[in-house]
Formats: sequence, C-alpha cells, structure tokens
Amino acid sequence: MLDIAFRNIKRQKTRTILTVLGIMIGIAAVVSLGSISQGMNIMMEKSFELVAGRIMVFQGEGAAGIAGMMTAMSTSEITEEQIETMISVSGVKDVVPMSMYMDTSVNMMQLGWVAIGIDPVRLNYFKGENILMYDGRELEEGDSDVAIIGKDVADKYNLEVGDSFTVKEADFDIVGVIERSDIQDIDMGVIVPIEDLKVLLDKDTYQMAFVIPEDVKDTEIIAEHIEDADEDLYTMTGKEIARQASEILDQISIVTIGLGAIAAIVGGLGVMNTMIMAVLERRREIGVMKAIGATNGMVLQQILIESALISLIGGMIGIALGMLGAFGITMYAGGMLKAVVTPVLAVGALAFALCLGLVGGIYPAWKAAKLDPVEALRYE
Amino acid sequence: MNKGNRYIVKAENVFKVYNPGQENEVKVLNNIDFKIREGGFLSIIGPSGSGKTTLLDIIGCLLKPSSGRVFIDGMDIGKLDDSELARIRGKKIGFIFQQYNLIHSLTALENVVLALRIMGKSKQEARRRAKSLLEMMGLGKRLDHTPSQLSGGEQQRVAIARALANDPKIILGDEPTGNIDTKTGEKILELLKHLNREKGYTIILVTHDPRIGKYSDRIIHLIDGEIVKDGKA
Repeated sequence: MLDIAFRNIKRQKTRTILTVLGIMIGIAAVVSLGSISQGMNIMMEKSFELVAGRIMVFQGEGAAGIAGMMTAMSTSEITEEQIETMISVSGVKDVVPMSMYMDTSVNMMQLGWVAIGIDPVRLNYFKGENILMYDGRELEEGDSDVAIIGKDVADKYNLEVGDSFTVKEADFDIVGVIERSDIQDIDMGVIVPIEDLKVLLDKDTYQMAFVIPEDVKDTEIIAEHIEDADEDLYTMTGKEIARQASEILDQISIVTIGLGAIAAIVGGLGVMNTMIMAVLERRREIGVMKAIGATNGMVLQQILIESALISLIGGMIGIALGMLGAFGITMYAGGMLKAVVTPVLAVGALAFALCLGLVGGIYPAWKAAKLDPVEALRYE
Repeated sequence: MNKGNRYIVKAENVFKVYNPGQENEVKVLNNIDFKIREGGFLSIIGPSGSGKTTLLDIIGCLLKPSSGRVFIDGMDIGKLDDSELARIRGKKIGFIFQQYNLIHSLTALENVVLALRIMGKSKQEARRRAKSLLEMMGLGKRLDHTPSQLSGGEQQRVAIARALANDPKIILGDEPTGNIDTKTGEKILELLKHLNREKGYTIILVTHDPRIGKYSDRIIHLIDGEIVKDGKA
C-alpha cells in the first residue's frame, strides 16, 4: 500500500510539490519560532541559577512582574542605610549590593555587553561557585580600574587578559576572562568593582542588592521581613521570578508556536484540497479497487497513507529548514539568544505534521471510502 | 469439475427501484427470477436501459436488490454488510469491463498483484501468481508495461488475469468485447470459453456482441427489466 501511495503522490508532481511546500513552510515556522521560545526557556532556567536561594531587592514601587523589575532596576536607588537595614534582618547571611550600566544608545544585540559593578570580595555570590575562570584571575579586594569579562565579550571584541575595556569613558584593565557559563548576565558581563562604577555613574546608591539567607528555606520569610523593615524596598525571590518568567515564557510559546501553527494549518488545508482533487480524479480507480475486493476501510487507509506521506515529507523538510532558521536566529541575535531545536520540539513538529496530514486527509478519505462503486466504475 | 450439480447464483423475485416513492422513480428490474448452474456460460442481452447492467451489478455484489433475494454461492447478499460484500467480490467474483478499468499508474503485473494483495496475499506470492496468470494470457513479455503501452486486446487480457487472480467462482463481463476490434474480440470470447470449459469458471456476460450465441450455453433476454426469453443459445 505504501508503494502505491508513493506512486500516487508522484502522479501529479507539481501539485504534490506545492502541497509539500505548504506543510514545509508551516512546520519550518513552528520549528524556528518554537526554537526561540525553547532557547529563551533554557536561557531563563540558566539565569535562575543566579537568583536561586537569594532575594533580589530594589528600591521604589514594586511594579508587577519581570517587566516591572527591569524598569525598577533603572530607577532603583538603594542607599547605604537601606543595605544596613537588610543586614539587620534576622537570618540574613550577607548582602551584595550591585549596579549595572549599559550603553543604551546602541542596540543591545549589537552591543553585546553589560557592565556589572560588584564588591570584589563578594564576587562569588554573583558568579556562583561552579563558574570558573577561563584565563587570568578573579577580582580581588582592593582592586580598582580592573575588570573581568565574560567569554562572549572577549570573543566579540577579541579581548584578552592585559587588554583594556572602555565603559562610559573610563578604561578598565582586563585581569580575567570567565569561562563560558551559558548564563547570559555572566557571558555578556563586564564585571568591575562596584566603587568604580559608582564613581563612573556619579551615584552614592546601588541599583539592587542580592540578599543571601543563612538558610535557603527561609528565603520567602526573609523577603517579607525586608519589605516590612523598609517600605521603600521591594523584593523578588527566585521562586517568584521563576513563576512569573514561566508565565511569560508560556505566553511567548503560545504566540510563537501559535503563529507557526496557523501557517501549518493552512498547509493542512492544502493537503485536504490536494486529496479531494486526487479522490475526484481517481473515482474510477477507487471503484475498481472496490470491485476487486477492497473494503471501505482499505480505501480510507489508502487515501490517509497518501496524505500522511505528503505531510510527513513536508514535515521532515520543514524541520530541517526550521533548524536552519534557528541557526540563523542565533547568528543574528549575536549571543543574546540561542534558538534551540530540542528533540521534543522536532518530534512534536513531526507529529503535528502527521496530524495535519491525517486530519486533512480524513474528509477526502471518508468521501472516497463512501463512493458508490457502481457510480465510480462508470464515472467518465 | 462437478459442473452443473449446484446453483452458483439464485435470484428470487428481484426488484430494483431507484428513487422509490419519488417523482423520478425508476423501476429497473421487475420480478427477476432465475438460477445459474455452476460452470455455466450465460449471456444477458437486451436493448439499452433494459436493466442488464444493473442485474450484473447485483450478481457482482456491487448493488443490493430493492426487494427479493439473491444468493451468491449460497449466501444471501441482502443480509451482508459493505465489508462482507467486498470480501465476496474479491474472493468469489472476477470483473471484466468494457473499458478494461486497469489502474493506469500501475504496470500489467502490478494491476494483477493489487487484486491479490487486497485479498491478503503476501507480496511474493502475489507476484508469483500474477506473473503466471499473465504468462497464461500470453503477456509474459508485457509484465512491466503500463496500460497505455498495451493494445485494447492486451489490456483486456490483463483485466482477465486480474479477474482470475483470486481464483473466483464467477467471472462477470460487462461488454468485454465492446471496445475491441472484431478479431481480437473473438479471441477474448474464445479465451473466456476456454476458461469456462477447461477450468470450470462460471461466466456471465452482458453483451451486444452478436457472436455470443456461439459461446454461451444459455441466453437471458431482458426488456424493460423483465426476462422475456430464457433459453439455450
């Protein structure tokens, strides 16, 4: 039956190719758009390693969600007194104040770096224990006008230890390059001593602080206590960020995959159209098959195999094309985003293609199965 | 062959009405009653619109009678569902059509193989049997030709090979010589007669071919859906 199906779909080559193209484009869209949200997912998950078991503290209005956090970061001004307040909350092990700076006049994708100011002694709280140096050394106590940079920055600007890097008119000597971590903030980071950045930004305040609890279990309670201690501060815990991020990612997934799915469904309609035409053209042949003993079920199966075959071919080429698309997106994003085609996405896309073929084929197949053999045989 | 010892087709008070009760009601068959012995060679003749093709379709299990009963090899086809009818068509009946009705995308061999595969034969077995049938039809060198590469007579012989594929009891022909020249038509009729006499197949033909008397051992004459004459050729 499969060989006959192959032969049948080859009979109207142009029509089959066009139908395959329809599915292919749809599935390529699903895969490449899906790869964006998959990539964001992985990136987010990695980034949570930075905040897991810690509390991020900002000053100002506790705007909703991650978007609010981004805004808060640019306006947030945490004073030394507020840092002291945080330290005094029971269960707090340490507080790591931080500031960030990036050149907003340039598109972030092209810029590819962000300056992060941090107390050199507390660098590990930000960087994490298991992130290693690629070259050179870490920041040390008493460091000034030096920076360690992420691997992406090093690669992008072709920098190594001993070179210097300019942040807002100030030159920093690069003393270390951090091994690639796949955590965006680190790979794209130019990490400098916080005091240097404060001078550069001409500010006495910090943009945010990481609060490290004595016991990770107490994270949520400590966060509440910090907000109680100073109403001008608001906190976000890793758990909360993860929850909000996954909500946002879910929405992005729905939109991106949904867009692709619409394209693919149009392709599915193409399959239906093609199969309806094929059944009409082959009425007589279907009549013959029935006359020589084919049951309705066999006729149904034959047409379904053909439509499934068309959509599977389209699906497979579409996945390959989508992978190419994902690669292109990653290239374009220049380290900002790594579009990833996970096995789940690929298999899911193929299953979706198959579903489109089967759903698109079911109506024509049913029509074919129900053909009256007497009429079909004498169809001119 | 135990020719003539039993009836392979029995029709009892068969009526066929299209669009019953409606304005465009057509009575195609009117109280048809006959029996056909196994191993017989029967021709059904009559003018256009006399109902002979409808009768053939009913014997071929492509249609059910509106009333009355039709038995094929002892089975009442009125009581069978679509799949059971399909199985009977595949197993007990071989069709030959005026237009040959071969599948154009398939070769001669594949056309015959298809009939065998539909009835569940393995690929190898189907190929072996199809090949030997086509060789028997004198088409051993035409196995890989598609219908468009074959003459009318050759196409009809492929169709006969396909009809014989599952070793049916009855071969039904709807104007099998209608589309071929006189000489080739004669050969086809001779082939059918041979299959009837030597292999014991029951042959039922609907035809206009005047030579049919020479080959049939019984002719049913239909006019306006009724049997007006039934007798030896």
